[in-house]
Amino acid sequence: MSILRNILTAVRGGASEVGEAVVDANAMRILSQEIRDAEDAIGNAKQSLTNLKATEIKLKREVNSLHQDIADYESKALQALDANNEALAGEVANKMAELEAEADEKSAEYKDLSAQVEKINTMIRQREKTIQKNKRELEKIKTVEQLQKATSTMSTNFAATSSKEHRVSAALDRVKQKQSNWEDRMEAGEWMAETEKTDDLDSKLKAAGIGDTSSSGASVLERLKQKKNKS
Amino acid sequence: MSLNDLAFKLNSHITNEGTRFDAVLSEDGVLEVSCSNNEEFPINIVKTETQLLAITPLFSVAEVQADKLNELNEELLFISPAIPLSSIGRQADTYILFGAMALNTVFDNIVHELEIQAENTLDVLQVIEPLLS
Repeated sequence: MSILRNILTAVRGGASEVGEAVVDANAMRILSQEIRDAEDAIGNAKQSLTNLKATEIKLKREVNSLHQDIADYESKALQALDANNEALAGEVANKMAELEAEADEKSAEYKDLSAQVEKINTMIRQREKTIQKNKRELEKIKTVEQLQKATSTMSTNFAATSSKEHRVSAALDRVKQKQSNWEDRMEAGEWMAETEKTDDLDSKLKAAGIGDTSSSGASVLERLKQKKNKS
Repeated sequence: MSLNDLAFKLNSHITNEGTRFDAVLSEDGVLEVSCSNNEEFPINIVKTETQLLAITPLFSVAEVQADKLNELNEELLFISPAIPLSSIGRQADTYILFGAMALNTVFDNIVHELEIQAENTLDVLQVIEPLLS
């Protein structure tokens, strides 16, 4: 069963002190021990494989050599028969029989050895699988340990030492302030765009001599002359 | 990168959005990082054999209105997948926001994760604020 069930129980149970066991400490020890045992077993298995490999190569060479000899003798026995030398052919046949028996024996030995090698390889693969699975389980436990440590670390460095209630409201005030600033900036931006549009229009009107043109010395003088003429 | 190296780099870094960091490594191996875009909620970074974990403790169960706890849990479950790069969880009585990165994550991506996580914290709090006491 996955260690996750144990972790869930421990975390829900409020084991919140840093260093407090997340799960039964034995579970961690057992997992770690299983990993070490599996690694040792793999080490020994690989050593055995190396030794067996040497024997396997030797046996294969001997079997091949025997088959080669058998083939040679077969050819010579046939030649002896062709030469009607049945007695000689018989001797060669006896030799062939010996060699065939030896080849059969060594082949059987080779076959057993191959089966052993395959068995060890299978065991190594299974142990590797166990190691990886246990490492993943251990990682889950250590992750939760670190999570607990990080969650319960009381800040001693930053503004977060203020009370929890104020932290949330201070953070949300910051959001509201940001939104307000953004809205102000948008409004200011729109105002600027509007102002620029109006300024632009005013300039065009002024250039065309339309509307309330600003006072100039000439227009003031004209006004004064008219006033004087009236009086 | 060790947590010490990470602290050193963070302390002299400014992001494109102008976020600065203050990082302090405690004796028990927790790297506490304050991001300028959310100073009220520092992020605690820890390492395991395979991961960097960035955790923001949010609030405790005690801070939730008693009759709103189920509603809060449901809301958090629904919004968690929509939050970029961060997930919501709980450790004992504390709700947390957290992100996990591979140990060989490059510095720029770590920075991005932290900046986003600080923003996400504010987003989450905004959503569930009505349920807090």
